[in-house]
Amino acid sequence: MFLNFPKIIVSLASFLIVNSLFGQNIFISGYVKDSTNGETLIGATIKNKESTAGTVTNSYGYFSLSVPPNTTQLVCSYVGYQSKIIQLKGLKLFNLQVALIPENREVKELIIKSDRLDKNVKSTEMSRIELSGEKLKSLPVVFGEPDVLKAITLMPGIKSGGEASTGFYVRGGGPDQNLILMDEAVVYNPSHLFGFLSVFNSDAVKGIEVIKGGMPANYGGRLSSILNVNMREGNNQNFKYSGGIGLISSRLTAEGPLQKGKSSFLISGRRTYIDVLARPFIPNDLAGNSYYFYDLNLKLNFILGEKDRLFVSGYFGRDILDFKSPTNRAVNFNLGWGNSTATLRWNHVFSPKLFSNTSIVFNRYELFNDFKFGAGGFSVRSGLVDWNIKSDFTWSPHAKHQIKYGFNYTFHTFTPGILSGSVGTTSINEKINKQYANEYALYISDEWGVNQRFSLNYGLRAVAFQLIGPYTQNEFDNDTGLPTGKTKEYSTGQTIAFYPRLEPRLNLNYLINEVSSIKASYTQTYQFLHLATTSGAQFPLDLWVPSSRLIKPQMARQYALGYFRNLKQNQYETSAEIYYKPMLNQIEFRPGANLFFNQNLENEMVFGEGLSYGLELFLRKKEGKFNGWIGYTWSRTTRQFDELNNGKPYFYRYDRTHDFSILLSYQINKKWASNFVFVYGTGNATTLPDSRYAYRFGIDPQTGEPLFVFVDRYSDVNSYRLPAYHRADVSFTYLSKQTKKYESSWNFSIYNIYNRANPYFIYFLPDIESQTVKAYMVYLFPILPSVQWNFKF
Amino acid sequence: MNHKIVYLVLTFIGTISFSSCEKEIKIDIPASKQELVVEASINQLSINFNYVILSTTLDYFNPSLSLNAVRGAEVYITEGDVIGTDTLFDVANRVQFIDYVDTIFPGIYLSPDFRGVAGKPYQLEVFLKDGRSITGKTFIPEPKSIDSLNFWFEPNNIDTNVFFYMNWMDGPEQDNYRLTLKKGFLPILTGWGTGTRFYTLDDSQINNQPRPFFNFSPYKYNDTLHIYLATIGRKEFLFWDSFRGAANNGGPFATPVSVKSNVSGAIGSFTGYGLTQRSVIFRKE
Repeated sequence: MFLNFPKIIVSLASFLIVNSLFGQNIFISGYVKDSTNGETLIGATIKNKESTAGTVTNSYGYFSLSVPPNTTQLVCSYVGYQSKIIQLKGLKLFNLQVALIPENREVKELIIKSDRLDKNVKSTEMSRIELSGEKLKSLPVVFGEPDVLKAITLMPGIKSGGEASTGFYVRGGGPDQNLILMDEAVVYNPSHLFGFLSVFNSDAVKGIEVIKGGMPANYGGRLSSILNVNMREGNNQNFKYSGGIGLISSRLTAEGPLQKGKSSFLISGRRTYIDVLARPFIPNDLAGNSYYFYDLNLKLNFILGEKDRLFVSGYFGRDILDFKSPTNRAVNFNLGWGNSTATLRWNHVFSPKLFSNTSIVFNRYELFNDFKFGAGGFSVRSGLVDWNIKSDFTWSPHAKHQIKYGFNYTFHTFTPGILSGSVGTTSINEKINKQYANEYALYISDEWGVNQRFSLNYGLRAVAFQLIGPYTQNEFDNDTGLPTGKTKEYSTGQTIAFYPRLEPRLNLNYLINEVSSIKASYTQTYQFLHLATTSGAQFPLDLWVPSSRLIKPQMARQYALGYFRNLKQNQYETSAEIYYKPMLNQIEFRPGANLFFNQNLENEMVFGEGLSYGLELFLRKKEGKFNGWIGYTWSRTTRQFDELNNGKPYFYRYDRTHDFSILLSYQINKKWASNFVFVYGTGNATTLPDSRYAYRFGIDPQTGEPLFVFVDRYSDVNSYRLPAYHRADVSFTYLSKQTKKYESSWNFSIYNIYNRANPYFIYFLPDIESQTVKAYMVYLFPILPSVQWNFKF
Repeated sequence: MNHKIVYLVLTFIGTISFSSCEKEIKIDIPASKQELVVEASINQLSINFNYVILSTTLDYFNPSLSLNAVRGAEVYITEGDVIGTDTLFDVANRVQFIDYVDTIFPGIYLSPDFRGVAGKPYQLEVFLKDGRSITGKTFIPEPKSIDSLNFWFEPNNIDTNVFFYMNWMDGPEQDNYRLTLKKGFLPILTGWGTGTRFYTLDDSQINNQPRPFFNFSPYKYNDTLHIYLATIGRKEFLFWDSFRGAANNGGPFATPVSVKSNVSGAIGSFTGYGLTQRSVIFRKE
């Protein structure tokens, strides 16, 4: 598998350079931003008005466009903003600053743009969805809390892990197979409140992008998808304050210029007050118990000059659970977990043809658990720390080529568990050995407009994962799982396992006409980090474990083919995509595996294969008084492990044959806007017992009655289907006050309007009266009204 | 602004009171393949823990909540000897277990003649009338003595809560433990199921140091507690540890757990216990 990386990269680069030749065009570059607050706009379209040539701004709002020398006008457009015609005469073509004016509500109702966005038809990108922060905030929500991860599950091909889960499943992949990035920092655990909410504060989110297939070469590290959450930069024109009060939490954001037009800051915080609100209603014997979470986003943005921009961003979030035993006040349990990230990014424009971004990222996920009781106490720590440096370059040598290349290096430190404490006079100190790893990536790709109709994006990503010492490898007996007493020592930096791999990427686009195209893509990805969990959801106690001598990297290939068509002057986007995705080296845990504080975790794992394929249909109206989308997915996802289900393939837990979602938004008048959501999904596949037996027998010496417990026995894995999941939600936003300086609105939501009992889990209880076992289904959210008040000044 | 806050609080309370419900549902599960189940226990201390229980699995929704006993089987346990690396079982040492109490508790096989010896290996053989058989091997490890047992009363709560901790010396051997607690005045257990609390303790990592045990659940003043500390082998531990997971499986994120049997021909375990018993009355001197 390991080929000569440098040779391949050099050959590919040479090919691209030769291929590109030197064109006669001129290059225009610059930034597109919001005229009112200076925030850069991601994905804005810049086109030559006299031809169809165009480009879109990158995640920093930057664009570089090659046009003929006689070009006089450009058109810049972006959803929710008035299009702008730029007269080039007399303008400096380097570092062009395009400021778009947001449409106000009245304009939004009336304007139907003649020059609509047609990116979905003309670009080589497929299987990609974008959503703005404003749209996220308007959707119906549980407890009045807007949530990024809940919103993306309304899109085709992305399935929710359930109501009490922020885990999502993309085209048959597990929740750990999604790379979740917040301003380029990896978020290892994206959930608050044990999975009910995500860590993303909607006030600080500028927009999100989900890539579920046709992954470009600049992304890697996960098999299934990329979720890119871009945080707002802050207003560099005026000081602004905004916030919201919801049922379970409140948000407050402050932003403003540090130096007007040149630099800005944004600080945004959120905290739940479940603990405060519930305190008066908690019985005395439970007083002292509390749960809360908070998070803080900070961003600084500096325009250092025409060529340089600097961004500093950070996130700090914690969930804290305090428990005091009602029967023993000396017993106290404190559990906390959270992410911390810090990102420093430097944009540099070498020339209109060459743009670069260099980032240094630190992130940490940690879990702490303190347990005190009368005779002593324990303290458990576990977590993961990453240091990451990456550089990405975008080079436009020719009107028909845009080349992206770069590198990425991450140093991982895994702390699976440190236990310290005492019981009486006995002290206990145990730890699972720390692990260290280097992860490298080098990539190059070319977006090549071959002719008016045919374009392609081809690239190669070379990745390598190196597990290194210091490490003490304990050996275990395969049968008993016991340590043999033998160990192998690895010195600092010594290689324990090394996995170099190549990831070819290809996206093709054939433009049938101005409004329709056929696209195809091939993606090969490897994943070196794996989430150790036995449940379908992601929990704070779940551990990330690296590939090792025994744990091979997971691998997936994805083939996708799609037809894209826009209707009515690009007002409507439609698409139909089919995909086929085989996955190798998939990881599951043996039934009943002990994942917590297990020195021999590898021995609990089994390795197998996965397969997912399906059809996704999507219809979207992006703008206008009435907008929204309808998505439908037919899919099949299976897993096959030699050691599970007698080696037979079985349905993956989140295999969902039919998945249907509707989101409709309607601007009723100047004051009122509404949203309607309907979702339907085939029930999850689950394993139920097919027999039971009595065990641990005894005879009550006083009554003479037999005593035993029933133990369930399972046969086929995931052979039972839970009832289908469906519900409808509505929300209304009322703009109660709007002046130049102040705006306030109310968001009223009703979740699950027809009170559907959707299955959360099933359990069984023996019924003495009928002398049999009965099944009960627990459902979480019946009809749930909620309200949120938002303000801005 | 006050009325807004009151409204929010009321809505919150309403929301919480609405949340999380359950209902009975009907599930159609196809008939299962019937399997034999064996629970065989021997020890060196008490004849109450020397027994073999034979039963079968039942379809999950079978209208019976009783042990589905297997009657009329021939059950033998043979004491063996370890000679070098070999373990030999002499038929002369074979003891038959008979279902003496068949009319009251079918499926329970007992032998008043059997006495376990610490350090000895044992073999289980079961022959059913239909030709099926079950075999298994175990040994009785050396028992441990409880070195210290301390208890105290929760401050200012003398009439209610009592807690205890104890420890014993864990040697270099692979001594895993099964600990059973029984509250009440009767000092005997008639089968392990008579216990009130059960624990399995792994010895894969701890050696040559005192092994502590602390009970987080409180007892009451004047309670009598009987403690049964049993040393068990590794395979037996793996069974009981997996059994603990299987018997307590449930909830939203439960995953199917299969027990790790150490017998052939059936689900279950043949466990030799190196047993220590101690009783304590939680009372101030």
